[in-house]
Amino acid sequence: MLKSKTFLKKTRAGGVMKIVREHYLRDDIGCGAPGCTACGRAHEEPALELQPQDLASSLCPQPHYLLPDTNVLLHQIVSAGRPGTWASVASSLRLPGSLETYIEQEQGENANDRNDRAIRVAAKWYNEHLKKMSADNQLQVIFITNDRKNKEKAVEEGIPAFTCEEYVKSLTANPELIDRLACLSEEGNEIESGKIIFSEHLPLSKLQQGIKSGTYLQGTFRASRENYLEATVWIHGDTEENKEILLQGLKHLNRAIHEDIVAVELLPKSQWVAPSSVVLQDEGQNEDDVEKEEERERLLKTTVSEKMLKPTGRVVGIIKRNWRPYCGMLSKSDIKESRRHLFTPADKRIPRIRIETRQASTLEGRRIIVAIDGWPRNSRYPNGHFVKNLGDVGEKETETEVLLLEHDVPHQPFSQAVLSFLPKMPWSITEKDMKNREDLRHLCVCSVDPPGCTDIDDALHCRELENGNLEVGVHIADVSHFIRPGNALDQESARRGTTVYLCEKRIDMVPDLLSSNLCSLRCDVDRLAFSCIWEMKHNAEILKTRFIKSIINSKASLTYAEAQMRIDSTTMNDDITTSLRALNKLAKILKKRRIEKGALTLSSPEVRFHMDSETHDPVDLQTKELRETNSMVEEFMLLANVSVAKKIYEEFSEHALLRKHPAPPPSNYEILVKAAKSKNLEIKTDTAKSLADSLDRAESSTFPYLNTLLRILATRCMMQAVYFCSGMDNDFHHYGLASPIYTHFTSPIRRYADIIVHRLLAVAIGADCTYPELTDKHKLADICKNLNFRHKMAQYAQRASVAFHTQLFFKSKGIVSEEAYILFVRKNAIVVLIPKYGLEGTVFFEEKDKPKPRLIYDDEIPSLKIEDTVFHVFDKVKVKIMLDSSNLQHQKIRMSLVEPQIPGISISNMDLNEPEKKKMKLEK
Amino acid sequence: MASVALSEAEKVYIVHGVQEDLRVDGRGCEDYRCVEVETDVVSNTSGSARVKLGHTDILVGVKAEMGTPKLERPNEGYLEFFVDCSANATPEFEGRGGDDLGTEIANTLYRIFNNKSSVDLKSLCISPREHCWVLYVDVLLLECGGNLFDAISIAVKAALFNTRIPRVRVLEDEEGSKDIELSDDPYDCIRLSVENVPCIVTLCKIGYRHVVDATLQEEACSLASLLVSVTSKGVVTCMRKVGKGSLDPESIFEMMETGKRMGKVLHTSLQSVLQKEESLGPKRQKVGFLG
Repeated sequence: MLKSKTFLKKTRAGGVMKIVREHYLRDDIGCGAPGCTACGRAHEEPALELQPQDLASSLCPQPHYLLPDTNVLLHQIVSAGRPGTWASVASSLRLPGSLETYIEQEQGENANDRNDRAIRVAAKWYNEHLKKMSADNQLQVIFITNDRKNKEKAVEEGIPAFTCEEYVKSLTANPELIDRLACLSEEGNEIESGKIIFSEHLPLSKLQQGIKSGTYLQGTFRASRENYLEATVWIHGDTEENKEILLQGLKHLNRAIHEDIVAVELLPKSQWVAPSSVVLQDEGQNEDDVEKEEERERLLKTTVSEKMLKPTGRVVGIIKRNWRPYCGMLSKSDIKESRRHLFTPADKRIPRIRIETRQASTLEGRRIIVAIDGWPRNSRYPNGHFVKNLGDVGEKETETEVLLLEHDVPHQPFSQAVLSFLPKMPWSITEKDMKNREDLRHLCVCSVDPPGCTDIDDALHCRELENGNLEVGVHIADVSHFIRPGNALDQESARRGTTVYLCEKRIDMVPDLLSSNLCSLRCDVDRLAFSCIWEMKHNAEILKTRFIKSIINSKASLTYAEAQMRIDSTTMNDDITTSLRALNKLAKILKKRRIEKGALTLSSPEVRFHMDSETHDPVDLQTKELRETNSMVEEFMLLANVSVAKKIYEEFSEHALLRKHPAPPPSNYEILVKAAKSKNLEIKTDTAKSLADSLDRAESSTFPYLNTLLRILATRCMMQAVYFCSGMDNDFHHYGLASPIYTHFTSPIRRYADIIVHRLLAVAIGADCTYPELTDKHKLADICKNLNFRHKMAQYAQRASVAFHTQLFFKSKGIVSEEAYILFVRKNAIVVLIPKYGLEGTVFFEEKDKPKPRLIYDDEIPSLKIEDTVFHVFDKVKVKIMLDSSNLQHQKIRMSLVEPQIPGISISNMDLNEPEKKKMKLEK
Repeated sequence: MASVALSEAEKVYIVHGVQEDLRVDGRGCEDYRCVEVETDVVSNTSGSARVKLGHTDILVGVKAEMGTPKLERPNEGYLEFFVDCSANATPEFEGRGGDDLGTEIANTLYRIFNNKSSVDLKSLCISPREHCWVLYVDVLLLECGGNLFDAISIAVKAALFNTRIPRVRVLEDEEGSKDIELSDDPYDCIRLSVENVPCIVTLCKIGYRHVVDATLQEEACSLASLLVSVTSKGVVTCMRKVGKGSLDPESIFEMMETGKRMGKVLHTSLQSVLQKEESLGPKRQKVGFLG
């Protein structure tokens, strides 16, 4: 039956449009209950369970289905989504389109009332329908709503109805479920603490008007890590002035939470303040000490010169909340038997959240996830509810989960929809795959990777041509052959953006079947590849570049060490070894040429953990070793990337995905130049070339590690390299590699950017067809934005993982003292690097409960004088390393000075060993 | 205008018949043909009506759109008329053939309806000088069977009766910038009062007598006719003579009287039909073009 739906819409121009949509009502939608003959849909899989699990609800002992209303479904999906919790969610399956249950909006009824009525009609229909089905079955549909009026009406109409809370409380079998109910402050709860702390948020329409007229500014709210009473708002758009607005004080923050999009109002200049340098942590357990809060706020307002004042504002409204579930720990309430507790998120930028739980004692010491439900005006903290228990603090799985969640790394197993796009096994190369492909199986291709690598995405070959020139090929896994644009697999990979390597775990970007099997260029199997083949002279001059899709059959999968061994061995002269030697020779020339152009060789202390094979605990730390073969592979990858970048930019000048590395502003180098100066060395930073040269010259015969230290410092001065779309930018330069153009082509298994580049290149050489999104530069820019974000997050997650494992390592090792070099000098601390572990840490000279030592800091040299000892950058010191577990949530490595000895500050070696011994005794 | 070719003999037959108060189709001189009215026939308009008067078939749609008031009348909205003569009605309307007739009818409609004594234009004003509702009245001639003006006026009145204008509120902030908010309840709307909306009664002078609701054939026998727009109270608001011939004052006076009388009857029956249809509510089965 045809109905029409009519509604009015305001157009952008300000007019009003009447829109009419056709709407067909159906009479063939079954009720979904199994065994229902009336609906004649018995052959289909029933949507409802035959006998809803009896969850022993004291309110309704008979088996029943639940029919939640829209709001309940929206807000309580967390508790509903847990299997076996809700008998069954009949959902709105039959609501909108069916003949018997369709209702039209009546006069004097708003859209919400209509929907409520529709659900009630459906509930009633269900009850009558089920009764008809079988008299003895006694199945019931129970209507769940939190709306009081709706419930009253339902009861009036003879529908069994309960509020969500009533129902969940009646479930005698699942008492912990009540915690998971989102607490939506109803009128009843509001009255409890009447005092209103915050001013009201303005409605969206007002905010939009204000933003249009310029009275309010829209921006992203960023809470401060150090001071919970302070935040900044980054204003959207291209406004030059007032780009960053400071907010100070609880009332001005006005319930905004980190990452929210907010509207702020600038305060008059007379009320502007300077960012305070105080570190403030929210420690109050009592919620009512608002006065105290105000006192603290006053503390922040130190008198400062006018120059320091920053534009200051206050939040007037929230445009978009960006809440997510937060990881953290429960701070148990002091009051025994209390069900209200505060939750402290691991991220210090998130305020504490008040939750209600009965299982506080079991949750203590666990990492849990909490979701925010709301933040009423009269509450000091937002309200939330418990979502998930991750496990014990310090447990490896728990901590890994936490760091993945906190860095927003998508790590759920791949969904069925995604997996459905994988090729069917057993997979083999078919005739169809051979189209547009060259058969290179006869070539002597081999791959060189770190040991234990299962996702091999590159392989190399080199052979002499008849004309005496060399043919060099880089073969990259043809991932874009398997991941077709737009499907679920593609979307998921695009979302993940990159594979994340943690110390003991790898979070794949593409499903395992592809990453470790079909795409991985393993030896002795036929694999599809995307090849970049150069014809070169023996002096590495490129004569010809050619890109083809190919089929290869790798002859050997080598590790760096194995490859190095083959090259060095005088007895081996097989095909693989000779081609490796030729490659190595070319790579050396290429590298030399690159460095001549001004490419930087930087250094960062990288560590590798040796894991215990059973417990997966780190047993030893080792800095990564670099061999000639590492740089050989790297050199050819760089060459391939540059060649591909040139090709795709030539073909798609507006929408090539490239990678750039902006030159850092000169001020970034200050620290490096000063540090070198203190060792009587000169570092020039005007160009990349002069920097590279001066770094090379900066050697000290007495201090061989100095050069590495300088390079580590130089790394810190650099900017982040980013992906971008060539049509959206005009600076393509890659500073670090000294290349005018660069992209990523060589690791499509672990980077999504490479997949896009593969697609672009495939279109450029006519091996694959294009699709609309590929040539849409705005879409491409969006992809770049996501990729840059994911890469950054993956890096942070990796670092966090290393940090956690370092902690585990030192936990098992106990307290050790090691040699270290000073990297930075701060006002009250020194930052040191321990080369043995590649570990960096801060040694503080001020402690809370100890008398402050005499500190003199000189910014120019820079140096720090403590009592009578002066510390310079690169000084050698000895530090004690131990694990500080005083804060369970944020365990950290604590370092303290051992040498040089400063009375009252450093600890003697004696002290160091003693507690260790005592501990040993105790253990015995 | 659409016309039929009649032989002299046929004309004489019609004229003599009228003389005897006996028209070709059996009606008397002051009898209307059967009128069919249905409103709300086009769902994406604000109001619509379809009127069939014998073979004459008219569809009127009213669209309410936001506009700015005219300078000389800052407190009023206004109506715009457009008449489309479909080539379905007669081959003469093909191409631009119907334009002249369309313009002529539209001009007449402007004169009769677009003034505050027939429609409450003030109620169409949203905010003086800035926003008002403009009612676009589109008339579509589907078939011509004579007496176009009467049929069109009935259809316009019915469509205006059916028109529902969404209620809007003007929000004003401190700076004085205004924004318009639309009510999200589809039942929350303004209805126009059609109390004073006139109908046209066309009186055709045939021989020594005049007839109402002339057919095409009768129109062909008439040299002059008089359009009288009459309100439901019998007030003549406008009068216009069409046709080449002349009318003597005596007969004009007579025709006006007939017009008033017929107009009142027309209004009463139209009003009762519209009310009756309205009372059926949204569940009424629509006939639309299937009837």
